[in-house]
Amino acid sequence: MKMDVLEEPGKKVVLLGNEAIVRGALEAGVGFVAAYPGTPSSEVPMTFSRIAKKVGLYFEYSSNEKVAFEAATGAAWSGVRAMTSQKHFGLNVAADSIPPVAYTGVRAGFVVMVADDPSAWSSAQTEQDTRYYARMFKLPMLEPSNPQECLDYTKLAFDLSEEFEIPVFLRTTTKINHSIGTVRFGEIKKPKIRGRFQKDPDKYYNLKPHLQVLHERLNEKLRQIEEKYGQKLNKVFPGEGKIGIITSGVSFEYAKEALLELGLKPPIAKIVLTHPISKSFVSNFIKDKEAVLVLEELEPILENFVKQIAKEANPNLVIHGKDLLPKSDEYNLERVIPALEKIFGKKFGIDFDDHKKKVDSASKNLTPRKPVLCPGCPHRSTFYAVKKVFGDEAIYAGDIGCYILGALDPINMQDFIVSMGAGIGVSHGIGIVSDQDVVAFVGDSTFFHAAMPAILNYRFNNAGKTPLIVVLDNAITAMTGHQPHPGSGFTGMGEKVEPVKIEDVVKALGAQVKVSNAFSQKQLIQALQELKSIEGPKVLVSRGGCRLLTRRQFRAKGLTLPVFEIDQEKCTKCGICTNDFACPAIVKATVEPGGEPVYSINPDICLGCAVCVQICPEGAIHAVKKEGEK
Amino acid sequence: MKFDVMLTGVGGEGVLTTQVMIARAANIEGHYVRGVQLHGLAQRGGVIPTFVRFGSEKEVSSPGIMQANADLILAFEALEAVRATYYARKEKTTFVINDYSLVPIYASLFNIPYLTMSEIIKRIKPFAKRIHVFKASHLGREKLGNAIFGNTILVGVVTGIGLLPLKEDSLREAIRVTAPREMENNVKAFELGLQLGREKRSTR
Repeated sequence: MKMDVLEEPGKKVVLLGNEAIVRGALEAGVGFVAAYPGTPSSEVPMTFSRIAKKVGLYFEYSSNEKVAFEAATGAAWSGVRAMTSQKHFGLNVAADSIPPVAYTGVRAGFVVMVADDPSAWSSAQTEQDTRYYARMFKLPMLEPSNPQECLDYTKLAFDLSEEFEIPVFLRTTTKINHSIGTVRFGEIKKPKIRGRFQKDPDKYYNLKPHLQVLHERLNEKLRQIEEKYGQKLNKVFPGEGKIGIITSGVSFEYAKEALLELGLKPPIAKIVLTHPISKSFVSNFIKDKEAVLVLEELEPILENFVKQIAKEANPNLVIHGKDLLPKSDEYNLERVIPALEKIFGKKFGIDFDDHKKKVDSASKNLTPRKPVLCPGCPHRSTFYAVKKVFGDEAIYAGDIGCYILGALDPINMQDFIVSMGAGIGVSHGIGIVSDQDVVAFVGDSTFFHAAMPAILNYRFNNAGKTPLIVVLDNAITAMTGHQPHPGSGFTGMGEKVEPVKIEDVVKALGAQVKVSNAFSQKQLIQALQELKSIEGPKVLVSRGGCRLLTRRQFRAKGLTLPVFEIDQEKCTKCGICTNDFACPAIVKATVEPGGEPVYSINPDICLGCAVCVQICPEGAIHAVKKEGEK
Repeated sequence: MKFDVMLTGVGGEGVLTTQVMIARAANIEGHYVRGVQLHGLAQRGGVIPTFVRFGSEKEVSSPGIMQANADLILAFEALEAVRATYYARKEKTTFVINDYSLVPIYASLFNIPYLTMSEIIKRIKPFAKRIHVFKASHLGREKLGNAIFGNTILVGVVTGIGLLPLKEDSLREAIRVTAPREMENNVKAFELGLQLGREKRSTR
């Protein structure tokens, strides 16, 4: 929330979880931050970007998460406290470089923040549980349950990292990242931003047989962390009875409130250090219990651990968890309460199922409101032209960005979505074994992030039917909130740089390229037809700025966007603008029940791209105010 | 004490800014504040259910409101008030609805007509202790040149009626720090709404 993260110590401020993480890092004296944005983690780099200069730390938007992790490693090895942040899929990208750094360890504190997205509020693809990475890579992991803990545990993660010379994961979930909460501030520490890399074969030489020495050192670090912090970081909230709750992360907040609502006071064990989990802590908690309920979203990681410990500590213990709650989707109060009702045999005052039935009946035949491409979005124009040239039969490879919304009606031009840059890679395989026309869409930020090796691969193997790659270039990483990328012309520190032109990169990778104005149907269709007829690797760069940014730039200059109107005399009510082009600013409404529909443009949300003017077969749409007119 | 507010509307309407305003005002009064913004894919055009909860730290911990448990629902877009019934129940919830429609493309695409205001109210009634309807966005456009000020007008309205247990001055201060670029118009919008709310209060 603006500059709040820099408020005075002792102040109580309401922050997003992501902002509280930034404050925690500032209080730990972080000097180097590198990240690629990914929601729900995006506000972490965005906040750093806003304040980096003022605080005097280094911040960059890296071209992808792997590069960001590596850059932060370099800083941490050279003695500067470093941090990187990403969403769960981002960690998959960085994953290749993480285990070797777990073995070598670091010198200054190094925190790797990761945001999982149960319920997929901000993701497609999967609901992966990143806690497995901590186990696979043998790294400690801390999990806050609210914004105050986001601050506290980020700070603590730096100290823990430095004490044991090991990178530390800070794992969050959407309802931590995007939740707000009251946070009390401590002192910001002046960052140390200069360091020096010291050669040290004993630390960095990771070939066998020294590799096994490093591995054993890592095992020993984990053992010591479990011993020293297992009791200290995890907490027991004493209560009544022989049934206990074991939980971590946001599930703790649900448990706490649900129990209060039900008037129950069982003992609660809160696991903050979710890797390595302390055997003695869990053992102590369960030894005198008859039953426990393990509350954790996604995978039964804590639950399996408790089951393992119970074999020795309390073989008769009844362990509930995923028998009562799902492994998919996120938890909330109305999910947790029924599980508690069952275990404690107590009824809550509200019948959620009955209420849900009433809601369903009230919501019958309610117009759905799925997310859509914004009014004025250049991608809508590009999709429209591509469909005109390639039709419904062509295979449309999807990718990650705003254009993911092209998967929905009426566009339906994201036949599959795998991961950043994968649309191009998958299309290569299809083109080798099939003669189908394939068009692979990729965004500008995604192009720089992960698409370049896949394009190079076409040129290298030069086999099969090459797809047409359409780069949707709106000059910014739009979906995550308008962060710059190598083609934007400025950095995360706000410095101007020469933008990298996608067409130059494409040429160097050995593909033919055409550039079109994304807002010109005529230019797009001409370029697409030309490219359709040629062989070999080929790319269309469809260039048009994100209209939300254009509007912001216009406002800053005191200018207005053009305003359009539908001429009711000329409109034949064919429905192309609403049903095929489907811009949300064009509204079809029936004034009188049963009467003729009227098509109009909502001036509150129209962003003046003028593409509807080009697609209307009757020429019924015209400007009533030109661009820049007051 | 615990007070649960739900804000709902369409991405791009300024729902998140309004959440921050109310959260800051509650913080100024020393409440423990929680809440969540359910945005992601819905940068623009999707539904944005948003929550602000305030009260004592002991009672407020979940970021989201429980099903059927909102004290106050502010619907910045009329149709979204119907979807918000999930969080409402007759004994507890007051609805304040902006009589303003953003017709989703799916109305035309799937031929599922947008509901009339009277139909919307009919559907909400079984879940509402009280329903108030205001043409806040129209007022924003008419008096301040932009429909987006409808949000702040509605915050003024609920404060004026006495439906939001926060002080006028806390909200004024919160608005000032939350919307520095459009501060003047937002303060005006709040005062406009406050007046409307007070009138409503004296006539009911």
